[in-house]
Amino acid sequence: MKGHKLRLALLLSVSGLFLLAWIFPIFWSLLNAFKSEQDVLAYPPKLIFSPTLAAFRDVLFGPTSIVPNLVSSFIISIGTTIVTMVLAIPAAYALARLRVPGKKWSGFYVLATQMLPPVGIIIPYFLILRDIGWIDTYQGIILIYLSFSLPFAIWLLVSYFEDLPFEMEEAAFIDGASRLMTLWRIILPQVRGGVAVTVVFVFLNAWNEFLFAVVLSGNVVRPVTISMFNFVSVEQTLWSKLAAVSALAMLPVIILGIIAQKHIVKGLTVGAVKGGGRR
Amino acid sequence: MTKATTLDVPVGGRADPARMMEGRERRFAAALLAPAFIALMATTTFPLLHLGWTSLHRMDLAMPFMDGFVGLDNYRELLGDPRFWSALGVSLVYTFSTVILQVVLGLALALLVNGMKRGQALFRIVAILPVVLSPAVVGMVWRTFMLTPEFGVVDYLSMTAGLGSHNWLGDPSLALFSVVVIHTWQWTPFAFMVLLASLAALPEDIYEAARIDRASPWLCFVRITLPLLRPAIVMVIIMRTMVALTAFAAIFTVTGGGPGTATEILNLYAYRKSFTELSIGYGSALAVALLIFTLVITGVLFALRRAK
Repeated sequence: MKGHKLRLALLLSVSGLFLLAWIFPIFWSLLNAFKSEQDVLAYPPKLIFSPTLAAFRDVLFGPTSIVPNLVSSFIISIGTTIVTMVLAIPAAYALARLRVPGKKWSGFYVLATQMLPPVGIIIPYFLILRDIGWIDTYQGIILIYLSFSLPFAIWLLVSYFEDLPFEMEEAAFIDGASRLMTLWRIILPQVRGGVAVTVVFVFLNAWNEFLFAVVLSGNVVRPVTISMFNFVSVEQTLWSKLAAVSALAMLPVIILGIIAQKHIVKGLTVGAVKGGGRR
Repeated sequence: MTKATTLDVPVGGRADPARMMEGRERRFAAALLAPAFIALMATTTFPLLHLGWTSLHRMDLAMPFMDGFVGLDNYRELLGDPRFWSALGVSLVYTFSTVILQVVLGLALALLVNGMKRGQALFRIVAILPVVLSPAVVGMVWRTFMLTPEFGVVDYLSMTAGLGSHNWLGDPSLALFSVVVIHTWQWTPFAFMVLLASLAALPEDIYEAARIDRASPWLCFVRITLPLLRPAIVMVIIMRTMVALTAFAAIFTVTGGGPGTATEILNLYAYRKSFTELSIGYGSALAVALLIFTLVITGVLFALRRAK
C-alpha cells in the first residue's frame, strides 16, 4: 500500500512537471508584458511585482505602434481564409460525393502538394512576384498562402462531407433541385461545424506563417510576427515591449485553439490519416 | 478551363438517361474541382517546375550580368560543397532527435494521463497552447525570456542547480541542443494529444483478459498497447518528420542558423544562399536537393508503415 502511494506521488509530480514545462514559457512571457522595464530586468527573475499596462500602451499607441502590423496580420489571415474556403468547399464536395474522373489521382495530388518544402516554392515565387510587381502586396501573399491552406482545407472538408448519408442528395434530386442548389441549400448547412473548424485552422495557419512573410513583406504587408524583430536588436532588446507584442501575437491563436479544442487532433492529423488509406 | 463552360451543353435526346445523368455529374464535378486545381497548379506545381529550371542557371541578384544557363553546374558545385553536407547532417540530427524525443515523451505522458481518473481535461487544454502558437513567436520567447544568459529562466535554473550560466544559443556546442529542445517543447503536445486519443479508443476487454491471466503491466504494454498503438505512432512519426524537415521559423528567429553554421539546417542554408547571399540559382539547387531528401525520407517511412 505504501509503495502504491509512493508511485502515485511520483507519477503526479512527473506529470505536474510536464504541465509546468508547457505552461511556464507562455505564462512567463505574458507576465513580463505586465512588468515595468526594471521589473523585467530584475535578476533573479521576479514573480511578484506591481503590474502595469505601460508596455501595452507603448506598443499600441506609442511611436512604434504595432497596430498596423496587427491589422496586416488580420487582413492576410481573413483574406486567405475567404479565398481558400471559396475554392475548397466545391472541390471537397466533388471529391467526397461525386464520381470524379481520376479521383484517386487527384486525391494523391492534393496530398503531395502538402509535402513541398516551403523554401522550395518561395524562391520561384519571389522571382515571379518581383517581375509582376506583387512583392509587398496582399494579393501576392494571399496567393502564395493558398499553396498550403488549400490542400489542407480540401482534406479536412472531405472528411466532413464523407460523413453525411448519401440519401440526402438523392432525395433533393428527386424533388428536382439542381445540383448546385443541393450543395448550397441542403449539404452545406449539414457540414456547418466542419466548415467552421476548417475556417479556424486556415486562419490559424495563415496567422502563424513566417517564411513566406519574411521574404514577401515590406512596408505595406508587415504581419506582427515580422514586426516582433523591431524590438530585438544587437544593441538592445526592449524586453517588456517585446513581451507585450508576443502576447498580442499569441492571443488570437490561443483563443481560436481553445474554441476548437475538441477538433484539434483531427485538424492536426487530417492529411496523414487520409494518406494511408485508412478512415 | 473548358470545364466550366461545358455545363449547359444540351445533351442529345436519344442518349440513355442513366448515362446522360452520369455525364452531367462528371461535368458538374469537374466544374467544382477546376478552380481549386488551377489554383493548386499555379501555387505548387508551376513554382516547382520554375524552381527546377532556375536551378540549372547561374542567377545572382548581386551580379545579374553573369546570369545564364549553366546546366548541372550548380549540382556539381553542391556535391563538393562542405557547407551543404554539414547542413544535411544538421538536418538529419535535428529531425531524428526531435522526432524521437517527441514520440517517446509524448507516449510516456499519454500513458500517464490515460491512467488518470481526474485531471485529463487540464492536460488536454494545456497541450493545445504550444501547438497553436506561431513557431516564430515561440522561438522569440525562448530566445529572449528563457535562454538569455544571466536573464532567462532556463539560465537562472541552471545556475541555481549549480550547472553555471551558459551561452545557450551562442555556444556552437550548445546551440543545436537548444533548438532541438525548443522544437521538442513546442511539438511534444501534438504527439501527446494524438496518442492519448488513440489510447482512449483501445478496447477494454483485451486488458481485462490480460488481467485475468495475471500479465504484468510491462507485458501488457509491450504485448498489447504497443502493437495496437503502432499505426498511430507511425503516423505521428511520419507527420513530425515531414514538419521537422521543413522547419524554418523557430531556428531562423532563435539562431538564424548560427553561431557560424552550427544550427544551419538545409532549409536555412537554401534560404541564406538565396536571400542573404543572393545566389538564387545555387539556392534553387539546394532547395531541389532538400525536396529530394524529403521525398526519400518520406518514401522510406511509408515503406516502413506498409511493412508488417
